[in-house]
Amino acid sequence: MAKPRVVIIRDASLTGPGNPPERARVVRMFQRGFALLTGERDDRSAVMTVFRPADRLGIKVNTIGGRAISTRPEVSLGLAGWLAASGLVGANIAVWDRTNRELRDAGYRLSRDPGGPQVFGTDTDGAGYSDELIAHLNVGSLFSRIQTELITASISLAILKDHGLAGVTAGMKNYFGAIHNPNKYHDSRCDPFVAEVFDAPPVKAKHRLSVLDALVVQYHRGPSFHPQWAERYGGLVFSFDPVAADRVGWALVERFRAAKGLPSLKEEGREPAYLATAERMGLGRADLAAIELLEESLS
Amino acid sequence: MRRREFLRNAAGTGLVIGTGLPSLCLNLQAFADKGNLSQVEARYYKKLPDREIECELCPRACRLGDKERGYCGVRENQGGTYYTLVYGKACSVNIDPIEKKPFFHFLPGTSALSMATAGCNVNCKFCQNWEISQVRPEQVDHRDFSPEMVAAEAQAYRCPSVAYTYTEPIVFYEYMYDTAVAARSRGIRSVVVTAGHIKPQPLRDLIPVVDAIKVDLKGFNQKFYTEYVRGELKTVLETIGIVAKSKAWLEVVYLVIPSLNDSLTDIRDMAHWLKNEVGDRVPLHFSRFQPLYLVKNLPPTPISTLEAAREAALAEGLKFVYIGNVPGHPGEHTYCPGCARVVVRRTGFAVEDIQIKGGRCKFCGAPVSGVWG
Repeated sequence: MAKPRVVIIRDASLTGPGNPPERARVVRMFQRGFALLTGERDDRSAVMTVFRPADRLGIKVNTIGGRAISTRPEVSLGLAGWLAASGLVGANIAVWDRTNRELRDAGYRLSRDPGGPQVFGTDTDGAGYSDELIAHLNVGSLFSRIQTELITASISLAILKDHGLAGVTAGMKNYFGAIHNPNKYHDSRCDPFVAEVFDAPPVKAKHRLSVLDALVVQYHRGPSFHPQWAERYGGLVFSFDPVAADRVGWALVERFRAAKGLPSLKEEGREPAYLATAERMGLGRADLAAIELLEESLS
Repeated sequence: MRRREFLRNAAGTGLVIGTGLPSLCLNLQAFADKGNLSQVEARYYKKLPDREIECELCPRACRLGDKERGYCGVRENQGGTYYTLVYGKACSVNIDPIEKKPFFHFLPGTSALSMATAGCNVNCKFCQNWEISQVRPEQVDHRDFSPEMVAAEAQAYRCPSVAYTYTEPIVFYEYMYDTAVAARSRGIRSVVVTAGHIKPQPLRDLIPVVDAIKVDLKGFNQKFYTEYVRGELKTVLETIGIVAKSKAWLEVVYLVIPSLNDSLTDIRDMAHWLKNEVGDRVPLHFSRFQPLYLVKNLPPTPISTLEAAREAALAEGLKFVYIGNVPGHPGEHTYCPGCARVVVRRTGFAVEDIQIKGGRCKFCGAPVSGVWG
């Protein structure tokens, strides 16, 4: 079996303190990330490896952390714009999360622009949650209708953070924002719930790609923002394998922790158990040795 | 209201998205925030370094960073201060017979102004009210209903009690507490319907302002609590013990679910425990299960199972054992522990006859424990 590929693209100009990232530089990161991930040289070919032109794409962001530690608008909207220029229909791209309040607090301007991309929360009138409860393994939830009805393909564009319970929160746990009752699934280190929410049909059938926003990584005392434990890494992590993407994200968190002399997540008794569960469920690979990791830095 | 209709309203989606596969730009309406939630500081929590908090209301003891919510979904850490989001935000308000709670030995034949907010601190897979208990407050419609308004409305509708019920009132503790105080000032009593997952101190603080507490004992082994309730039996038993030793009236309900918690061994053990720890006069209700929420693969409880449970509890020495959710069953009546005659005759939630005076059987004079007027 071929190793799943994980690509890390870094931009040195985004590692220092200062202004929000320039969209043009973010787009370059996406171009390189898609190229290395797909092996396609031109943007359109790379994008069409992942999507169909008629896809209605949901870019699921994570905005619970407010402006300080959420998926940045420059990143998600940069991705949306680039995808629209590379073969998808702009009007068919939505950047979304569970509430409009959280999106606004994270710096997003809500948009119903028919030219797209649209930006809105599940609590927007006309969206909401599915009528029917979806029971899957240990999970019973109403899923956002954005996920169940409005879109045909999904990118999990999560912020990479340490998480006091799950160990890390990254691409897979991002879909907790697609269900109405995520608070019910934080027992036992969120395991097996992170894997099982991902495995539920509305997510698994539509997820195409994980991208971790690791421009700033909260490597300790997450998921809340603590500037003293936030690393300006300036990276984006890409993978078609959702488990491998999160596994590499976990490795980054451990790297920053070790550099600061902090104990590992395992030493703190909270290594991300959901990854092993996800691997057992066949959702991807959680063994770093079984992952092909490509790293590239842009000047 | 059918569940589909309820949920459509609950989700706040007044408009129906077009049939078939909708375009992303169809029918997305205003961006008005849902919720209008409260921001009242919680009473039981401690502040920790780095804007973290630890909830001290229920045994889960959720430790939360900034912007995170507890397991209940209705309490949120905002910048290191913990808030209840549902104070004064009632999502369900009705006037019910108090027998519906059920209380059978507390003001029988009266009405209770019954209310709830969203949220619950357990997650029973067989929840009968999951549409409001297992959601976040912004996901259901609610009305502003201050404690003073609740008390005034109960008085206006001549309800001698307010019942905190339907969901889990522990998660709206501050609202319940203040409402109970407001109600008492008008001579109205308060009754609490709970699963009993609360820490001892807030429970002890609550008891003096309420008058009766009904505890749902979901099963009598931890395995069942772990798998189907996501809670702790030990905590619930502790709660029952604390209430039993207080001045508040106590009743216990056991929802009997076929094949999951209907072991007669467990039921005998439970009845034995109640008799020894609480006393033989505590009313115990065996209620009939209906398949809902995440346990839809089981049938409603056979009446014979309920009858066997009742017989087992009576054989253990409990004096007041009932069968619930089976209208017309003789197990709904109260029988005098002295002469065995019917002293309260019920059909469903309706009380047809009461033969108790001054807390004693009118026929033989034996005491019948309860709060009768």
